[in-house]
Amino acid sequence: MMDTLMFIVLGTLGATTPLLFAALGELVAERSGVLNLSIEGMMATGAAVGFAVTTLTHSYGLGFLAGALAAGALSLAFGVLVLVCLANQVAAGLAIGLLGLGVSALVGKPFEGNTVPPLPKLNVLGLTDVPIIGPILFGQDILVYAGVALLAILAWIFKRTRLGLIIRAVGEAPTVARDVGYPVIGIRFGCVAFGGLLAGIGGTYLSTAYTALWTEGLVAGRGWIAVALVVFGSWIPLRIAIGAYVFGALSLLELSIQALGLDVPSQFLSALPYVTTIVVLAVISRDATYLRLNRPVALGKVFRSDG
Amino acid sequence: MREGLLNLPRLKLELRTDRSRFAVVGVSLMAVIASFAVGMILLAILGRSPMRVANAFFIQPFTSLYGIGEILLKTGPLLLVAQGLAVGYRANVWNIGAEGQLIVGAIAAGVLALYFDSSNSIFLLPAMIIVGALAGAAWAAIAAFLRVRWNANEILTTFMLSSVALQLLYYLVTGPLRDPHGQNFPQSALFSDAALFGTLIPGARANTSLLLGLAATLICYVFMQHSIHGFRLIVSGLAPRAARYAGFGEARAVWIGLIAGGVCAGIAGVGEVAGPIGMLQRVLSPGYGFAAIIVAFLGGLHPIGIVFAAVLMALLYVGGDFALVSASVPNAFATIFQSQLLVFYLAGALLAVYRVRLIWRSGQVPT
Amino acid sequence: MTITQRFLAIAFALAIAMLGAGSASAQKAKIGVIYPSPIGELGWAHELDVGRQAIADKLGDKVEFLKAENIPEGPDAQRIMNQMASENPKLIILGSFGYMNDGLRLAATRPEIDFIHASGYKTTQNFGWFLARNYESAYVAGLAAGYVTKSKILGVVAAYPIPEVLAMINGLTLGAQKVNPDVTVKVVWLNSWFDPNKSQEAARSLVAQKADVLYSLYQDTPEVVSLAEQLGVYVISTSSDMSKHAPKWYLAGPHVNWSKFFVASAEAAIAGTFKGEGYWGGMKDGCVSVVAISHDLKPDQRKVVDDAIAAITAGKFHPMTGPITSQDGELKLKAGEVMADPPLLGINWLVKGVETRIPK
Repeated sequence: MMDTLMFIVLGTLGATTPLLFAALGELVAERSGVLNLSIEGMMATGAAVGFAVTTLTHSYGLGFLAGALAAGALSLAFGVLVLVCLANQVAAGLAIGLLGLGVSALVGKPFEGNTVPPLPKLNVLGLTDVPIIGPILFGQDILVYAGVALLAILAWIFKRTRLGLIIRAVGEAPTVARDVGYPVIGIRFGCVAFGGLLAGIGGTYLSTAYTALWTEGLVAGRGWIAVALVVFGSWIPLRIAIGAYVFGALSLLELSIQALGLDVPSQFLSALPYVTTIVVLAVISRDATYLRLNRPVALGKVFRSDG
Repeated sequence: MREGLLNLPRLKLELRTDRSRFAVVGVSLMAVIASFAVGMILLAILGRSPMRVANAFFIQPFTSLYGIGEILLKTGPLLLVAQGLAVGYRANVWNIGAEGQLIVGAIAAGVLALYFDSSNSIFLLPAMIIVGALAGAAWAAIAAFLRVRWNANEILTTFMLSSVALQLLYYLVTGPLRDPHGQNFPQSALFSDAALFGTLIPGARANTSLLLGLAATLICYVFMQHSIHGFRLIVSGLAPRAARYAGFGEARAVWIGLIAGGVCAGIAGVGEVAGPIGMLQRVLSPGYGFAAIIVAFLGGLHPIGIVFAAVLMALLYVGGDFALVSASVPNAFATIFQSQLLVFYLAGALLAVYRVRLIWRSGQVPT
Repeated sequence: MTITQRFLAIAFALAIAMLGAGSASAQKAKIGVIYPSPIGELGWAHELDVGRQAIADKLGDKVEFLKAENIPEGPDAQRIMNQMASENPKLIILGSFGYMNDGLRLAATRPEIDFIHASGYKTTQNFGWFLARNYESAYVAGLAAGYVTKSKILGVVAAYPIPEVLAMINGLTLGAQKVNPDVTVKVVWLNSWFDPNKSQEAARSLVAQKADVLYSLYQDTPEVVSLAEQLGVYVISTSSDMSKHAPKWYLAGPHVNWSKFFVASAEAAIAGTFKGEGYWGGMKDGCVSVVAISHDLKPDQRKVVDDAIAAITAGKFHPMTGPITSQDGELKLKAGEVMADPPLLGINWLVKGVETRIPK
């Protein structure tokens, strides 16, 4: 029983990390006013490219870099569509997302059936031997710690730095920001690209650490959950991270229940993350005023640079 | 205003005064040509003969009765679902969950068919269609309710409901609805003949889904272009506050927009299980619910445009199969092609509405 | 010329070019193969392709192939099947159980095309099935598993609860129990032939329940095998030798080879002598074998395994020989009684010692 619990907790951080990266990336994009629905496709592209490069170069670093850049390139295409061509953000997101899925399938094809040794777990400060909390806190792979660091950095940026203020201004009142002299389009591009890079890292983590292989359908809806997490977390980094953790745990729930021998149909457990998303979304959005206070005002709206 | 470091020219958009339907069609054509060109380049990079693949994709499907039948078979559900979705999209109601609504419609019809498996009644099929439509509508209504009452973003709720519907299907075909004589494989028993659509053309597999899709086109055309209700929906989409001021409720738009999509998707689901599939199994739709979204946009959200877009998308599906089998082109390529179409369309749609001008720093406007 | 005219002229020229470019070559017999998962370097689909290659090697220029891989069961398979049929092949090889209903429907409308269907059980005049006696290799692997397990719990990550799979689980269990009577077996049903995410989660949950030998039953890709290597538990795969993904912990590799059967079917289809019947190949006909047996087995243990292989290959031993009791406690086979083929083909029960039940 204890073993099962341990195994769940240990596994959760691995399941959380890709969600965390993708959701935080989307947070930055949304804070600047752009709704990017193509995360699923970007994560898939990152996963395929990252896996391919890691397999070929035997270097995780290069793999993650390649995956991030590939997803970043896709996000730039998205940026052009919505910021220059002023396309509808929902349609553009779906189109680029689908494109990302197709590209990932094409890129990953020659590598299907391969495996790579998963990202090695660290032994921070040599403390993994401490019972129970040792492996959990000190024995994770490097990206788990990077995710925590990212969370802290982003929270600090948005709360306390000028950069964060500028991004938020661009997302709340873009016309005012433009009149004050900030390049709204440029900043949005930067935020969207940053979101793309993070989504790519999240995807590469899936294919080189969590599942350690590539297959179509690897991302399995996580990109969409990441978008939902941003809403759940009311656009606040720490809350988003908590949401990501809860989801990571939920996705492991399925096999823990099997392991405990309870007779719940597995499909019910597979549906649980989605049902929970809907319920939490409804509850959070109930208070329209709260939603309006936290949501970037210009989110999803087309911005014309000549007003 | 602060001077930028780089003296780049700025783009200025001017509303076209000479906007014509031709411009919109022109954008669609441009999108097709551009995707085609990029596709050929991609194929050349991949080391495949572009001409052979293009032949497989675009010519071969038309050279046999089989191919034409397949195109018609695919057009049916795409057209049907896209019409329903477009009603909502014009009102800014974003239904992304058509796939799930399709599945739920199929399940409902399937349950009816399995329950009455020894019946020969001619009312079985119509009953299945009605039940499927209601089920699809109900599934969409969940998202509508959540949006109207609790402001939950319908993009996320409809998508999540889609995934839930899939799990529901898996559960039913693995357990309660599983064929007891099927060797434990997760699928239901085959439907009896009374519960199956016949084919329209002997030798081809096109069936009643196509007729239903055309009917939906007609209904939507009349609704959107010529009725006051359609007008209200469009206005709600373009200017929600003005619409509210004029008494066109946003809530109403959400309900109609989502349910229209749900009904159409549900009926499309019935068309699949009572048509080519003939039973309930784990995979019911090759992504029609999502492809229909592309069809709706590609057709400019206009009922007639959607007809052409649906045929084009159907051609891509069928052409993709031809290419897979006779030119070894992976299925992913068809996906890329489909998404490229939408990307180029969206990129070009701007040009149909605005004229783009370059403005140089010195303030001169080149004519 | 106006721009429009020029454009139309170019388009017309392109169309003519494309019309010519894709014309098919005549006279070669076509053979279609549909794979449920990517062919890759190993796994079920790969072994199907090895069989296809054998046809190519034997018949060379006389045949050309229509291949479609990674086709899930359902509407996609239906389309592809119909697609292939429109090219008038002589033979279509349906590589997965789930293609059955669509295949039968197609076969009924196209009597001039012959079909062979994997893991099926229905035959018509132009529709046959083929199956491997994987329970034989499962039994042999089970012997090895019984020797190496310390926890006496074996974990099976199984695709679908179809009779073929049930027979394999039974084979594994009986083999393990022969050398280690207290062994129990737990199963997780994936309900998919190809779902690397889920199969890994299933494997992890089995290990969490103390299984120290995993049987990756019909996962086409080696994710369970490589996970086992990571987790430090023994692993058995299906269809192919996957030892390179678990150099230390690979226990045994049941292997399947369709070459002889595929070549025979192709020749019969081309010659017009094809009959729709069932083929159930085992170790005796070279269809089934066990490779890459772990060196962790002690010499006397290895001898038992090799003897079993020899006995089964010679037809002297059948793994489903009584006394065998089912999970429910019912005595299914009396002492010395060998299970006949027909009931074995449709087997719907698991032997005692398997703790997981078949889903209702």
